[in-house]
Amino acid sequence: MDTLISNLTILFLLLPPIVGAGLVTIIKKKRTIGIITICAASLILVQVLLLVSRIVSEKTITAFGNAFYVDSLSAVILLSVSVVGFVAALYSKNYMGRQYDNGTVDDKHIVRYYQGFNVFLLTMLVVPIANNLGIMWVMVEATTLVSVLLIMLYFKENAIEAAWKYLIIATVGLSFALIGTVFFYYANINANTSDDAMNWTGMVHNAKLFDPNLVKIAFVFILVGFGTKAGLAPMHTWLPDAHSEAPTPVSAVLSGVLLNCAFYAIIRFHIVSSVSIGPEFSNQLLIILAVVSIGIAAASMYFQKDMKRMLAYSSVEHMGLISLGIGFGGLFGIYGALLQIVNHAMAKPLMFFASGSVSQKYEAKAMSKIKGIITVMPVTGILFLIGGLALVGMPPFNVFLSEFMILSSGFKSGQFVATSLVILFLVITFAVFLRHLVKMIFGNPLSEMKKGEMGKLAIIPMAILCSLVVIFGIYIPTQLQTLIQNASTIISGGGFA
Amino acid sequence: METIQFDVLTISGAILLIATFGIVATRGFMDWLNAYRYQSIVLSGVTAIIGYVTGIWEIYIAAGLTLVIKSIIIPKVLTYVTRKLEIEFKLETNPYVSIRASVIISALLVALSYFLIQQIPFKSDQIVNAYLPVSMAQFFIGLFVLVNRRTVLSQVVGLLIIENGLFLFAMALTHGVSLLIEIGIFVDILVGILISSILLFRISRTFDSLDVGKLENLRDD
Repeated sequence: MDTLISNLTILFLLLPPIVGAGLVTIIKKKRTIGIITICAASLILVQVLLLVSRIVSEKTITAFGNAFYVDSLSAVILLSVSVVGFVAALYSKNYMGRQYDNGTVDDKHIVRYYQGFNVFLLTMLVVPIANNLGIMWVMVEATTLVSVLLIMLYFKENAIEAAWKYLIIATVGLSFALIGTVFFYYANINANTSDDAMNWTGMVHNAKLFDPNLVKIAFVFILVGFGTKAGLAPMHTWLPDAHSEAPTPVSAVLSGVLLNCAFYAIIRFHIVSSVSIGPEFSNQLLIILAVVSIGIAAASMYFQKDMKRMLAYSSVEHMGLISLGIGFGGLFGIYGALLQIVNHAMAKPLMFFASGSVSQKYEAKAMSKIKGIITVMPVTGILFLIGGLALVGMPPFNVFLSEFMILSSGFKSGQFVATSLVILFLVITFAVFLRHLVKMIFGNPLSEMKKGEMGKLAIIPMAILCSLVVIFGIYIPTQLQTLIQNASTIISGGGFA
Repeated sequence: METIQFDVLTISGAILLIATFGIVATRGFMDWLNAYRYQSIVLSGVTAIIGYVTGIWEIYIAAGLTLVIKSIIIPKVLTYVTRKLEIEFKLETNPYVSIRASVIISALLVALSYFLIQQIPFKSDQIVNAYLPVSMAQFFIGLFVLVNRRTVLSQVVGLLIIENGLFLFAMALTHGVSLLIEIGIFVDILVGILISSILLFRISRTFDSLDVGKLENLRDD
């Protein structure tokens, strides 16, 4: 009976995006397909919230034999996927409607967009709940393919170039990840010949018997591979292109949750490797990549002229911070990193939505052409400002708390060099980001512009995210605290809470 | 019997490497496609040999899928795409490294992969010994083709070689991860190739060229 309920839970979780994509294909009416997608996304959100509350009390759920395995760590990722998916679906209605009115997309492409959006959500829902690491890899590759389709929706030169680079770089990167996965599998079948050798649970179980040298090589491949997809420097080169050229709601999903999904894969293998050879090896590598990422992001943001590219580099920085927290280890650092995943998933989509509305209003993405947002569109301006302040880690907003935890765990674990470097880079980012932000938000518009917002449906998703950003800065719900606590124990305590 | 089997393994590995060199040493896209088709047929044979030696029936299915998808469907799709493109796009400008130097570099890459595989602690097994270095060499040569050639088409070919190397790597080392996953990987490749074909059309239409050098509008400065 219990297994039946679990099976149904997973089935119903995956059903809305499938049905949604199907209905979009059949109905094809511009108005209706937007609403269908919103319905699908809200169904996902409700189910994930129920699932998460179940995970908080039961800790793990397995379904369909051992095919799906949901624990607190998966739940954290699921939560970010469903929340961002929901607000992005809401925002799409307004944004894509306007793109349609502009003539940027036609009837055929708007159908493609909503099909792609639903399938994209589906693939990102499967990644965190698949127990089989091979299936996880297949699904991460599938997210690449679907998002390439979404990026090349526009026929602009830049969009095509970005899609091509993304396709090639991410596919090559993921081929490294596949080699790493096969290495781990090989280590496992050498250690023991059980049936679930490719399952994560089976791997963690046998990890102590793995050949240490093999694990080291395997983890390096995994880190390079999934690190490419997660946007860790120096493999991040596709990221600013793809994130700046995608339709805005897709940028928000790419930045807010797709990177998390890829990083989630790294965390899974990090756990296996930690159980097998101790956490020092993978921690060191994670810290090095993190410092490089934050440094490169800070330097690139300094020279940035394009608004969405700046936000993309900020994603590189935040993925670096997450990696840093996991690398520093200790309950405090890991808790901070997981909280950072959640916080970043609220603040970054907010910024992308706001920048999308702004660039539709100003018909420009170059920061030099955007001035005086607050006088032209006051509500969006304020939301943009709050999101920006949150992203650079200004108290009392949510990101401050997680960044503070990560950095203080750095000092606690004795990583003084890495932590001081990161603090230096963060100061640079802070100054640069705020300077760009203030220039865009205040001052007078370059040309005479009609005042007005971009419509209610553009404001509502931003307002939802903004209130989350503010609330989470002051108070984190106890259920979420327990969830993240459990997930941290999974990472630091060898796979099980 | 032992030695005969060993010979078959070694010789088939060598044929596979020759097929890979065929892509490095030729200039036109049609030649690459033929070399790739040839390579895939050999790969499917090699897979069947692994299936015969290990006696796992699932591997025969993977061999069949390789034959159908990689040596029939993918070359067909790409041939169709290039027919539709205008002739001038099919001609390749010179690669960054000349073809003669490319062959030498590829040979060095083969040596490197034999060296690397010796460093990694694998259980000694004749399949691993025969095919693992070949698969690594394919992987490296694929990466080299990807960065060395200037046209967008050759990047697709590079990806395909890398993927063949990966497939052989998984087959040789673990005798195939489960069939379900392999089918998933095949679907991913197929969809990837379809998407890149669509992109090829669009690139040739909007940029009037398939030169990778033209794809550099997006920069930070």
